[in-house]
Amino acid sequence: MMEMIDTLMETVMSNQVSIPLIEPMLDVLPEIPMLQYMVAFMLWKPLFAILICPGLTVGGLTLLFFPWIERKLCGRAQWRVGPHEIVWWLGGVIQLLADTLRFLFQEVIVHKDAHRPYFLQFPFLSFTIFLLPLLFIPAGTIVAIQTPYAIQIILALVCLFPLFILGLGWASNSRFAYIGTVREAFMYFAYEIPFIIAAIAMIILYGTSDPLLMASRQSIPGIILNPVAALVFFIGAAMATGRMPFEIADSDQELCAGPHVEYSGIAFGLIYVLCYEKAYILSALMTILFLGGGSGPVIAGLGDLSGVLWFVVKTYLVLTTLFMLRAVYPRYRLDQGLKLGWSPMLCLALIGLAISLVVVAVRVI
Amino acid sequence: MKSMKKVVGPEYNLSEKIKTNVYAVGVAMQESVYPHTMTVFYPRERKKMPDNYRGFILFDPDKCISCFNCSFVCPANAIRMKEAPNKRYYPTVDYGRCIFCHFCIDSCSGGALKATKIHDVAYKDMDEMFTPTEEMIELPEIIREDKKYVEYEIEEDDLHLKRTKGEDYLFVEVPPPIQIPMVSQCIDRANCIGCRVCEEMCESGAISSSVENGMLRMKIDTDKCTGCGLCVKECSMQILMLKKLERK
Ligand code: SF4
Ligand code: SF4
Repeated sequence: MMEMIDTLMETVMSNQVSIPLIEPMLDVLPEIPMLQYMVAFMLWKPLFAILICPGLTVGGLTLLFFPWIERKLCGRAQWRVGPHEIVWWLGGVIQLLADTLRFLFQEVIVHKDAHRPYFLQFPFLSFTIFLLPLLFIPAGTIVAIQTPYAIQIILALVCLFPLFILGLGWASNSRFAYIGTVREAFMYFAYEIPFIIAAIAMIILYGTSDPLLMASRQSIPGIILNPVAALVFFIGAAMATGRMPFEIADSDQELCAGPHVEYSGIAFGLIYVLCYEKAYILSALMTILFLGGGSGPVIAGLGDLSGVLWFVVKTYLVLTTLFMLRAVYPRYRLDQGLKLGWSPMLCLALIGLAISLVVVAVRVI
Repeated sequence: MKSMKKVVGPEYNLSEKIKTNVYAVGVAMQESVYPHTMTVFYPRERKKMPDNYRGFILFDPDKCISCFNCSFVCPANAIRMKEAPNKRYYPTVDYGRCIFCHFCIDSCSGGALKATKIHDVAYKDMDEMFTPTEEMIELPEIIREDKKYVEYEIEEDDLHLKRTKGEDYLFVEVPPPIQIPMVSQCIDRANCIGCRVCEEMCESGAISSSVENGMLRMKIDTDKCTGCGLCVKECSMQILMLKKLERK
């Protein structure tokens, strides 16, 4: 028994997040019996990735505050104020917390035509599935599961998302949900192919699909090496998350909320944050592919956390840009969206691929 | 057959498209840093209404000559005259019908109706919106939470908000109407049928009747007549008219 614990602790201790700043604190810890193990576990890299960054803590904070930031920024850009009345002297910052509380206490109404089991399980199922890619996304050098095929796995999981939205719409069994679902399916095909080609272009450019290696090979960030692929990836991300110019599936004006129209209570709350979750993951992916992941000037004293910090800052930058689209652009019609996806985006993605091939060829010669 | 003209959208070339997009994004970013927010945080602050704002109507019974002008002119039929204990008729306003055209105020010959800038009166139901005369004399109770008032300003084609500390004054001080003294006059004595409607109508007792040689004779006392025009409206033969009073 003791041996097992010892070997376990050895594995844990060999892969710790090093933060020079709090080292003196950690030295004191062995005097306190249980706390030492707990802190050691917390600082074990895989667990740190899952629990803190890019996992639950940072992800949760993003979900909690980014809807507010989005609404606030768009409000300001459009001469409104956005959320304001809840803690008005802080600008309504806890708006989503308050909404969540309200959602929790609201009744989840299942209407009589809905496919009850699917209707109830899809929101919760999709919320968890949407979290899975975070396991493969590294923040700096900290990653939960390190594999050389991380980008492919993340892409595969990201491509799974729309299936769950389709499931939501199908289980709702209402005409608005159906129309929204069919639109979602159309858009899915329109953006997915250019999106994947753009990612493949970057894999070819770096010659690896391990995010950690990718970061180290971006002495010049990918967005400068291959701006075309970056543009396609960004537009693809906007389409995938249903941000404003492509809010075609859940167009509020005609379809109320598209696939989510029948949901209420906490089920709706979960679906509401789904698109923010997706946006967070895609921004993280964009950071890894085009902005050099967690690389950046090392901040003294933070050790491994410096990479984490850079990663978070870059991801939030991409996320904010993604959300600002809402303030500027009106919505495309479905046919316009499809046309954009199938012709210019596909062409640009192929051009991006060609640029990558040329860069690789030049490097070889 | 003449073919219909097809409406086409404006065509932009690539450089124009890029330019307009960059401009739009630039404006959005600029605004999100320095926003020109237009929102007025009512009730913590109020928008300053212009002086000719048409709001709640106040009534001063001392000035009212019971001429019924207001109720005749009201296009929404919101004003009903009610008999007061002093046997005179005063207006009541049904705010469920009122369209706030303020024709009543414009047409008030005594200057008894007054406009205010009050627009935020709340009622529990439709019946409560019927405002009897007594409630029109006093202001409705207002809870003032506003610390500032807000004005819109146009500067170089741009709209701005100007906030000023202090409470906006909700009354409109209008100078009393210039009254042209009028008196009722009979223009066609021969056609008077002696129905005595005018005598019954007159609020100020200016019209009297007497029998002379078996004939009914009506007399209008120019000193008592307020020029309200009630008799003119009611005269069955339409032979009365308001004339400018010429004092000698
Ligand atoms: S404001 Fe217009 S509608 Fe209202 S009572 Fe006066 S005349 Fe009638
Ligand atoms: S118009 Fe003025 S004076 Fe005449 S009845 Fe109405 S309130 Fe009285």
